[in-house]
Amino acid sequence: MNSLTSDANPSINRSPSMLDLNVDSHVTVGDNVLDEAKVRVRNLDVFYGDKQAIHDINLDIREREVIALIGPSGCGKSTFLRCLNRMNDTIDICRMTGDIELDGENIYANRQDAVLLRARVGMVFQKANPFPKSIYDNVAYGPRIHGLTRNKPELDEIVEKSLTRAGLFEEVKDRLDSPGTGLSGGQQQRLCIARCIAVQPEIILMDEPASALDPIATTIIEGLIHELSEKYTIVIVTHSMQQAARVSRRTAYFHMGRLIEVGDTNAIFTNPLHDLTEKYITGRFG
Amino acid sequence: MTKSIDLIRKSLKKRYAKERRYKLLGMLSVSIAFSFLVLLLTDITVKAWPAFRQAVVSLPVELSADALDVTAQSDLEELRAADWMAPLRATLLERFPEVSSRSEKRKLFSMLSAGAEYQLQQAVMDNPNLIGTTVTLDYIAADDVDLVLKGLIDASLPEDERRVDDQQLGWIQSLQEAGNLSTRFNTTFFTSSDSREPELAGIRGALSGTFLTLLVTLMLSFPIGVAAATYLEEFAPRNNRWIDFIEININNLAAVPSIVFGLLGLAVFINFFSMPRSAPLVGGIVLSLMTLPTIIIASRSAIKAVPPSLREAVLGLGASRMQMVFHHVLPTAMPGILTGTIIGMAQALGETAPLLMIGMVAFIVDVPTGMTDPATVLPVQIFLWADSPERGFVAKTSAAILVLISFLILMNALAIYLRNRFEKR
Repeated sequence: MNSLTSDANPSINRSPSMLDLNVDSHVTVGDNVLDEAKVRVRNLDVFYGDKQAIHDINLDIREREVIALIGPSGCGKSTFLRCLNRMNDTIDICRMTGDIELDGENIYANRQDAVLLRARVGMVFQKANPFPKSIYDNVAYGPRIHGLTRNKPELDEIVEKSLTRAGLFEEVKDRLDSPGTGLSGGQQQRLCIARCIAVQPEIILMDEPASALDPIATTIIEGLIHELSEKYTIVIVTHSMQQAARVSRRTAYFHMGRLIEVGDTNAIFTNPLHDLTEKYITGRFG
Repeated sequence: MTKSIDLIRKSLKKRYAKERRYKLLGMLSVSIAFSFLVLLLTDITVKAWPAFRQAVVSLPVELSADALDVTAQSDLEELRAADWMAPLRATLLERFPEVSSRSEKRKLFSMLSAGAEYQLQQAVMDNPNLIGTTVTLDYIAADDVDLVLKGLIDASLPEDERRVDDQQLGWIQSLQEAGNLSTRFNTTFFTSSDSREPELAGIRGALSGTFLTLLVTLMLSFPIGVAAATYLEEFAPRNNRWIDFIEININNLAAVPSIVFGLLGLAVFINFFSMPRSAPLVGGIVLSLMTLPTIIIASRSAIKAVPPSLREAVLGLGASRMQMVFHHVLPTAMPGILTGTIIGMAQALGETAPLLMIGMVAFIVDVPTGMTDPATVLPVQIFLWADSPERGFVAKTSAAILVLISFLILMNALAIYLRNRFEKR
């Protein structure tokens, strides 16, 4: 096992810098491959130009679980996340090889599928990015473009339901016509979550959704993730290990573009199998 | 420790002094620019002022049916053909009985504008019942009389050095004292088109021509420019040699001298496509060729400035590229696009050279009513008047410049209003 070879290497103990760590001959540790899965990622490599950002990742994600992706900056966790809804298509120099299956279908099989895929796999970004439109229009935009409603009352209902589910409705019900950009940071992020779930996706990708928020807003968002997990599969990238521990059932640890360890969140934080994981969660680097 | 604080304190003084100097320099340059602007505008306004007043001679003219050989029942053709100068002449001679020689008479009659008889003709054609009565109208005075009244001809100069001789000055004084000669607001300037006579010349024609030309320019260059910018920014393949080539061309086109576009218009639209000469349609097309690069470049940078986070948000919801562009990118970029458009349109508004090439420099007395009517535009009108030898055109030129500037301010105000509306949404 990799951890054993790492332990055997005395250089790591002397100087635990990232550059010294031996991750070349890596095998992901833990339950990265499952029997039943909503999303299956196989042999995923991603390149930005000549630079390889992700090396041979295999990871399965269960239906209706919250999986947290953790790891030091630049380890490829955001890139991985963006592969799941083909957001990387928008970056010209980005190219990938490997397979990603959603319900057994390869999401990269047909170029036309990106629009449909993104309706099934919603995304919440690090920085809240509401449209410069009214709160109502922010939430109503997705259902509108996808033609999910036949009339205005139906749309009103979706907007109210989405805002309620995002825990925002009570705060904004009197000013649905005021601009979404006028809300506070935490409210904006919840608006973005409401906008995302208005399309009724199956999976929600969250890219450090609380990193720009204060602790109170963070607590609200985390509570929200917990509630949403009853209905949706959630993949969350986070820099905060406490947050990963609080919200997720499984945790995946990335390191320099490689998936090092996947496992039950409790197990990862109490008894990591891999040496690198242990070093990261005990704060010796990262 | 103390040492570094001392060093910083010493350098602070220097740094603040630098800042003060820079501020002073900035204020200086702003005030220089501003004072030049004020100087220019005051000069133009002062020079233009006389053009907004007009000398009129108020004369009671007896319209005898016998002398004119028409009656109230005559048809319009007969009325039009009558000698309307005759009663005016008779009235003037009656007023100044001492005038007898031919040359003196000619001098006396030239006190009225050539347009005076048409004023009378028009009044009678509008109401034929005036025949047989005595009619008092405000006849437009000749430009020399106008200049004397406005003090633009110096009466203290020796007689042979001024355009108006002592006898004419005497008549002017006499008419003025009797209350027959006065100045009033110059409506002719705003209601008539170009004329060889300064007192009859107006900017209505040029204003209509400018409006029609700019309408064509806006209708063509705004949609085409925004569409081109959108395609190049959002849909065009990256690192494609053709696209690069087109980009370089657009950037270079913005620097092509405008007269070249005029030559192009002459060769392609008039000679090859046989479009009408001097027409706002052709002028508008030529100006849009010139405005397009400006609009495309400004629109592209406005589109480029739309934050990527907004694009990601839209795409992340499952919007297509087209929906992203038309629902979010373009509305967000619209203030910048409008700014670019208004800069381009302002350029087009002030453009003279390309229009000279396609015949919009012609002397046109009719107000254009359509895209294919012969027309001229404000800057060309200014150019024409500035080139005219008559003294009366000096004030008209400045007044036309004022009108042009007002047109520009109006256009800018509209653009700012639109931009603010887009920014609010």
